[in-house]
Amino acid sequence: MSEPALACLELSGVGMRYGEGDKALTALTSIELAIAEHEFVTIVGPSGCGKSTLLYLIAGFLRPTAGSLQLRGKPITKPGPDRGIVFQRYSLFPWLTVRANIGYGLAEQGTPRAERDRIVAEYVRMVHLEGCEDRYPRELSGGMQQRVALAQALACKPDILLMDEPFGALDAQTRRILQDEVRRIWRGGAATVLFITHDVEEAVALGTRIVVMSARPGRIKEVLTRDFDVGDGEDYDANPAFTRLKLRVWHSVKEEVDAARA
Amino acid sequence: MRLALTKLIPLALLLAAWQAASGAGVLPKSVLPSFVDVAASLAAMVRTGEIWPHTAASLGRAGAGFLIAVVAGVSLGLVMARVRAVEQGAEPILLLLYPVPKPAMIPLFMIWLGIGDFSKIAVIALACLLPVVVATFNGARSVDDILLWSARARGTSERRLLWRVILPAALPQVAAGVRTAIAVAIIVLVSSEFISSEKGLGYLIFSFGGVGADDAMLAVVIYLAILGYLLDRFYMAGIRRLLSWHAFTH
Amino acid sequence: MRSLTRFLPLAILLAAWELVGRTGFVNPNVFPPVTEIVLRWFALIADGRIFGPLWSTLWRALAGLAMAIGCGVPLGLLMGRARWAEWFFEPLFSFGFPLPKIALIPLFVHWFGVFSLSKVMLIFTDCLFPIVLFSYHGARGLSPIYLWSAQSRGTGRLRMMWRVVLPLSLASIYDGVQVAVVVAVLVAVVCEMVSGGGGLGEMMIRSYRYGDVRTAFATLVTISLIGYALYKLAQWLRGRLLHWQLAEA
Repeated sequence: MSEPALACLELSGVGMRYGEGDKALTALTSIELAIAEHEFVTIVGPSGCGKSTLLYLIAGFLRPTAGSLQLRGKPITKPGPDRGIVFQRYSLFPWLTVRANIGYGLAEQGTPRAERDRIVAEYVRMVHLEGCEDRYPRELSGGMQQRVALAQALACKPDILLMDEPFGALDAQTRRILQDEVRRIWRGGAATVLFITHDVEEAVALGTRIVVMSARPGRIKEVLTRDFDVGDGEDYDANPAFTRLKLRVWHSVKEEVDAARA
Repeated sequence: MRLALTKLIPLALLLAAWQAASGAGVLPKSVLPSFVDVAASLAAMVRTGEIWPHTAASLGRAGAGFLIAVVAGVSLGLVMARVRAVEQGAEPILLLLYPVPKPAMIPLFMIWLGIGDFSKIAVIALACLLPVVVATFNGARSVDDILLWSARARGTSERRLLWRVILPAALPQVAAGVRTAIAVAIIVLVSSEFISSEKGLGYLIFSFGGVGADDAMLAVVIYLAILGYLLDRFYMAGIRRLLSWHAFTH
Repeated sequence: MRSLTRFLPLAILLAAWELVGRTGFVNPNVFPPVTEIVLRWFALIADGRIFGPLWSTLWRALAGLAMAIGCGVPLGLLMGRARWAEWFFEPLFSFGFPLPKIALIPLFVHWFGVFSLSKVMLIFTDCLFPIVLFSYHGARGLSPIYLWSAQSRGTGRLRMMWRVVLPLSLASIYDGVQVAVVVAVLVAVVCEMVSGGGGLGEMMIRSYRYGDVRTAFATLVTISLIGYALYKLAQWLRGRLLHWQLAEA
C-alpha cells in the first residue's frame, strides 16, 4: 500500500471569466485538480480551451474569478520563483548572456557570486549547453534558447515547473530531442512538472497523467493515467500500449474539437 | 577599413576640384578661398593653440546641456512609461514644446538667464530633452510583456522591473534618441553662439565671417564638421559595444 | 467628452502659468502670464504687424523646400538605382550630415546678401539632406521584381524612373519631405535671427533687444503655429497623395 502522495498543487473550483453580463467570456469553469510531488502532468485540449489561461493562473499572472489555487498549502497570489515557467518563445533576456540568463533568478534572490556561478554551471551541464555560456540569445537556435529557458526556470529551484507549449515553435527533430531531455531531467528528481500542449503524442509521451480539457468554456473532461514507462529515444509507434493510449486521448480531444466547431 | 577609405575618394575628388578651380582662377578668392588656404588657416589655428579654448567652451556648453538632457530625459521617459499619472502630467508640456523650434527660444532664455553660459546650456538641454524622452518612452512601452512576466516569475519585484528589465530592453531605442540629441546639441549650440557670445566655435565662425576673414571662417566650419563627425562615430562605436547583444540590421 | 479630458492637463498647466505670472511670483516682464501673451498676439494680428514677417518666413521656407524637393528627389532616386551615383554622392551626404548647415550662415550671407536669397539657399541646402537620403533609401529598397517586370515589357530607363521607381519610392520620399518641412521653418527662423533681413526670426530678436517680452513670446507662438500647421498639412497631403499612388501602382 503506497503512501498518499503529497499534494504540491491544489486547484478547487477555479474559474476564469472575462467581462460582464452579455459580453462575458468564460475561459475556465469548475477546475478541480491536485498534483502530487514529482508528478509529470500534461494538459491537452483543443485551441481556445483555456489551457494557457490555467497555466497563467497557477503562475500568478492572473487572478481567478472563482475558486482557489494553493501551492503546498499556501494560496497563490502573485508570480514567484516557486513556480518556474517556460514560455513558448522569446522569453530570454536578450541583453544577458546564457550564463547571466540562467543565473537571473539567483541574482534577484541575492545569491552571492561564487555560489551563483557554481549553480549556473550545474544547470548548464544539465541542459547540455557547455561552451555556450557567454553567447547571447540571438546567437542561439530555437532549441538552444528553450534549453536556456528551462535552466533559467529550474535554477530557481521551483516547487513546480510550468511549461506552456515550450516546444511548439521548434522543428520535429529538435522537439523530440528536447522532450527526451525534459523527461530525463524530471526523472533525475529535479521537479514536479505541469506541461501544456496541443500535441497528443507529446502529451502521452511525457505525462504520467494526462488531463484532457473540453472546448470553451474549459473544464476538465477526463484524466487518464499512463501506467507504463516511456524510455528516451524510444520508438513510440512500436509500443502498442502507447498507441492505444494515444488514440484514446486523441478521440477524446477530437470530440471537443468537433463540439467546438458545431 | 578598406571600405572606409574608398568612401573618402568622392570627398577627396571634390576637394581636389575645389582647389583646381581656385588655382585656375575660376573661383575667385573673394567668393571662396582656395582649399589650401583654408587648410593652412586651420593648421595655423591648431598650431598656435588658438582653437582650443573655443573648442573647450563650445564642447563644454553642448556637453553640459546634452548630459543634463540625457539623464533627465531617460529618467522621465522611463517613469512616464510606468506611471500613468506622470505620463498624463508631462504629456501636455512636451506637446507644447514639440512644435517650438528650440533655437527660436534662445532670445527668451537670454532674457531669463542672461547672456552667459547658463542660457545656452539650458536651451541645449531643453532641445535635447525631447528626442531622448520620446525615444525612451516609446522604447520602454514597447518592451515585450513576456519579458516582464518572465522577470516576475523569477522573483523580480515590481519596483526593480524598471531597472532590471525595462531599461535594458529599451536601450536600443534610447540609444537612437541619444544619437539624435547629439546632432541637435550641435545645431542649437552653433545657433546660440551666433546670436551672442564672446567665446566658442560659433562665435569664431561669426566673427571671422563678419570681418571677411573667409579662409579662417571656413577653417572653423570644416573643423566643426570633423568634430561633429568624430563625435557621432565615437558614440556609435561605444554604443555598439553596449548593444552587442542586439541584432543590428545595419 | 473623453477627448476633452485629454486637454485637462494642458489646461491646468496654462492656468498655473497664468497664476505664476499674475501673483508676481515671477517678474511678469520676464515671464508674462498667458493671457497677456495671447492679447499681444491678437494685437499683432489686428494691426497687421505680424503679417509681413510671417509671409517672409513662410515663403522662404516653402521656396527652399520646393527647390530641395525638385533637386533632391531625382538625385536620391538616381543614387538608389545607379551604382556610380551612389558611390559618388553617398559619402558626400553622409559626411555632410553631422555638419550643422546653420554654421554656413555667414558664408551664405557673404554670397547671397542679407535678404531672402541667402536664407532660401541655406534652407535648400539643409532640406536637401533628408530628402536625398530618404529618396535614396526608398529607391534602393525596391524589390527587383517590379523593375524586372517593367524591363521585360520594354520600359526605357528614364521612363522606368518616372513610372516605376518614383511611385514605389513615394512613401519613403514623403517621409523625407515631412522631416524637411520642420527643418525648413527652423532654418528660416534661425537665419533671420542671426542675419536679420525681415521675417519672424528677426522680429523676435528685435523685440528681445527692445525688452518687449510679450511680443517676443507672441512671435514664438506664431513660429510654432506655422511649423505645426505645415507639418499637419504635410500629413494630410500624404493621405491624399499616397492613396492615389496605391490605387495606381
